[in-house]
Amino acid sequence: MTTDATPPEWAERILRAVLTPTDFATVSGDLLEEYRETVYPARGQHGADLWYIVQIVGFAMRSVAVWGVLLGLAVVARTAFDWFVPTADFSVRSAISTYVGLGLLLTTGFWSAWRSGSMRSGALSAVLAAAIGALISVTAAAGMLALFHDPQTMKAIAGSGGLSEVFTLPITLVVDGLILGAIGGALGAAANLRLRLNV
Amino acid sequence: MADTLGSFEQAVLLAILRLGDDAYGRAVLSEVQVRLGRAVAAGAVHATLERLERKGLVASRLGTGTPIRGGRPRRFYRMKSGGVRALNEARAAVDTLWRGLEFPLKGHV
Repeated sequence: MTTDATPPEWAERILRAVLTPTDFATVSGDLLEEYRETVYPARGQHGADLWYIVQIVGFAMRSVAVWGVLLGLAVVARTAFDWFVPTADFSVRSAISTYVGLGLLLTTGFWSAWRSGSMRSGALSAVLAAAIGALISVTAAAGMLALFHDPQTMKAIAGSGGLSEVFTLPITLVVDGLILGAIGGALGAAANLRLRLNV
Repeated sequence: MADTLGSFEQAVLLAILRLGDDAYGRAVLSEVQVRLGRAVAAGAVHATLERLERKGLVASRLGTGTPIRGGRPRRFYRMKSGGVRALNEARAAVDTLWRGLEFPLKGHV
């Protein structure tokens, strides 16, 4: 049994944002075919929509995984330095970590928009990368805290902003991702347009 | 010697081999799911196909769309000689590891 049912339009828009136009055409066709021929008849509308959304999340996460991991590692490295190599002057470390984070989010936005030709894709990809990065850094910080909670380390943590900063600051990266991803996305979409016009 | 293939890459290449002229994304996904006996994310198959093509083990071409796909094209894959060689090497490596042992294993634990 087949159907002409359609998956959620918003999910398809996300897929369009994270893939190149050619890949979007073939991948969305594959997903739509599987949705209509196999999943919908077996699971019904809600089950099929859920399946479709899970597939889209998988594609979206895969498309930005490298940037998210790099961002997470950068935050973890800064946290580890503050905990295990304490300092009274954070200006150099702050400058380096700020520029690295800013650069990664801008690049994620640029790269994604350059591939897809869509500025929105830049913002979406940077938000997803920031979410992955935040998850990695919060998980790593919890792991480090479980292993190292001697008085010396706890003093270094308190001196570098405290535990609340360790666990909340990475989450604010998502907002940074939205803003910087949009800026990078605008530049990437413009570069894509220029390239197409030249060709 | 070609790059060592991961087990999922082997599953995808063998699916392409079995499907012949009908090896497009969704068909490969279904074949891999049947052979592995579990649900597989479409994104995982797509990423693997893309990687195998980058490695020069498979080639692809765009086909035409069908109404059930909303008219969107299929991307058909075919094995290249490098893919066949990589699969043969992967199989030979496993055979070498197992040589001299009976399958299924008995009484070794």
